Amino acid sequence: MRALLRITWLNLRRDRVALALTFLLPIAFFTIFALIFGGMGNAGPSESRPLNVLAVDLDDSVVSRRLVQALDEQAGLQVATELPVEEGRGLSRGQSRGLSPGQAPDRESAARAVRAGRFHAALVIPAGFGAEFPAFGGGAQAVELVYDPSNPVAEFAVGGMLQAAAFSAAPDILFERGIEALEEFGGELTPAQREAVEDLKALLAEGFPGSTDGAADESATGGSGNAAFSGLVAVDSVNVRTLGAPEDAPRRNSMIAYYAAGMGVMFLLFSMTGAAGSILEEEESGALERLLMSRTSLTTILAAKWLFYAALGFAQVTVMFVYGNLAFALPLWTANYLAGFVVVASVTALSASAFGLLLATVCRSRSQLGGLSTIVILIMSAVGGSMVPRFIMPDAMETLGRFTFNGWAMDAFLGVFWHDDPGAGVLASLAPVLLPVAVMLAMMAAFLAGARLAARRWETL
Amino acid sequence: MDTVLEIDGLARRYGDQDALRGVSLALGAGECLGLLGPNGAGKTTLVRIIAGRVRPDAGRVRLLGRSLQPGGSAGREALGVVPQEIALYPLLTAVENLEVFGALQGVHGGELARRVDWALAFSGLEARRDDRVGTFSGGMQRRLNIACSVLHRPRVLLLDEPTVGVDPQSRERIWHMLDELRATGTSIVLTTHQLDEAENQCDRIVIIDHGRVIAAGTLAELVAGIGDAAPEPEPEPRVRQASLQAVFIHLTGRALRE
Repeated sequence: MRALLRITWLNLRRDRVALALTFLLPIAFFTIFALIFGGMGNAGPSESRPLNVLAVDLDDSVVSRRLVQALDEQAGLQVATELPVEEGRGLSRGQSRGLSPGQAPDRESAARAVRAGRFHAALVIPAGFGAEFPAFGGGAQAVELVYDPSNPVAEFAVGGMLQAAAFSAAPDILFERGIEALEEFGGELTPAQREAVEDLKALLAEGFPGSTDGAADESATGGSGNAAFSGLVAVDSVNVRTLGAPEDAPRRNSMIAYYAAGMGVMFLLFSMTGAAGSILEEEESGALERLLMSRTSLTTILAAKWLFYAALGFAQVTVMFVYGNLAFALPLWTANYLAGFVVVASVTALSASAFGLLLATVCRSRSQLGGLSTIVILIMSAVGGSMVPRFIMPDAMETLGRFTFNGWAMDAFLGVFWHDDPGAGVLASLAPVLLPVAVMLAMMAAFLAGARLAARRWETL
Repeated sequence: MDTVLEIDGLARRYGDQDALRGVSLALGAGECLGLLGPNGAGKTTLVRIIAGRVRPDAGRVRLLGRSLQPGGSAGREALGVVPQEIALYPLLTAVENLEVFGALQGVHGGELARRVDWALAFSGLEARRDDRVGTFSGGMQRRLNIACSVLHRPRVLLLDEPTVGVDPQSRERIWHMLDELRATGTSIVLTTHQLDEAENQCDRIVIIDHGRVIAAGTLAELVAGIGDAAPEPEPEPRVRQASLQAVFIHLTGRALRE
């Protein structure tokens, strides 16, 4: 028994990869998920990444301006009132109603920005909103909350913070409207009461721009949507994916696309690495030596493996997405989706195959490759967003994800299935994937160069 | 006898270790040359230099009268190498292994199909042609290992211990295969630790030790060369094998090398 324990201990102690798998990988994973969901040390929720919201103030009243300011002061929100430069360029190039950067967006351009993934949501404050605020009991102009369903918390978080912001945005107005309601049902105030009310109003208005008089003078433009009303502000939530779509258009669950991409990329890396490990088996069996003594070269051998495994990887991802379509109604059969999928899946498979080849050539044995690939791929997948969406990660972690293959591959797939524009042509629909595809191609070149370098040990001595 | 392979002054150093120190030898057409030596003597380095897998620090190799470039497969079309390992794909069938290795040696189309059929008969594996190699016995795999290296009909065949771990029947069959190749004009360099093989199958024997050729000639010449100095082989009951064993031990000593 003692001898058997000694054998096991000595083998484990001398197997660094097994040690890393046993002790480091669980700690690494725990750290990653603790950072994502729990923050570091005493860090509170404020450490988590704020939701980006684009405010479209069509009212431009004192109340609406205060509301936007109050929203911006919410810890979990980051509010913009202008389109980012690149968004403005993108819109002006591809869309008829483009806006130049720096201009306030309208509802349509805001929806495009949300669809393109620039913002988690847009809040469209309608003209006349200020005049009717607060609309106790409904019937007021509703703020339109255009949200990206790819972030499942965006709709509810932004809606809740909108109500919270409304409470803090205009206490003087709320007070005035309350007094008005009191006068309506309980009779007019005495002059002394009126004076006290005005003093209190002035006190409440301190720290806010503009005047409450202006707010009171706002003219209502009338009309209200079928808004859900559960606070001071009526909110009309609109899914940006179904905005403008026919009523009978199929509704899709964005998380299906997310996990098709997430799991697809992660298992693509695993299968590519496993497949590329065949070169280590060939080395052990002597078949590689035999190949190298034939009329072929090491570069040709590596290139053949890379291309074959890339084709295999493309088939693997294709099977996964077709299954997703059949079993979970993942949208696939439109020209835009198909074109985007073929481009992204091809580049992802080519890059993943190169990654697998790099790991295989760096390792000295199959078992070493198995251990190393498990560690590298699982960590890359966790940080890169294959397991947990990057939008819920803290900023630092999200930034770290940009240095992983998974991060860019996910961006590319989501560029096709999340940030699509139904009105765009096939070529224009590829715009969101250009950057991640370019980055993956650069990674692929680096992986291949690294693999060729590491494979030099098999060359003629 | 024409010389088909000429080795002249090959030297190779790994770090501070001299693997080869000026090895020279020649192989005649149709000849079988036995390359003997203790482990670490430099045999494998010599074979790998000839095969183009190792670059020599000095010396040259001439194949069929033409100098070979050090490294690479260029100019080595007339060379076949049978590795010591079973360098086959176990999930592929015998035919599939023959086809891929034949194609990699530049044999294609109908010619490849004919050579594959010949190789299956040559190795006695016709009945197992469509079976996966992983299911083969060690002897069958050894035979196929040789067959995969001769599909392109090399003029010179290097064999690195081709009969390691095989049963007497398969060994007999392998020697029959090599005789068949020699009958068609193929010259053979055989590295082996099986002294009886070298004694019975090789026309000449070269003994290498510490990176040098320490003896070369026919068995009779080698035995005559050591004369009465030949130590009594111990224990060695078979008289037929005693002479080369005695020569080998006399020249290389009894000390273990590794």
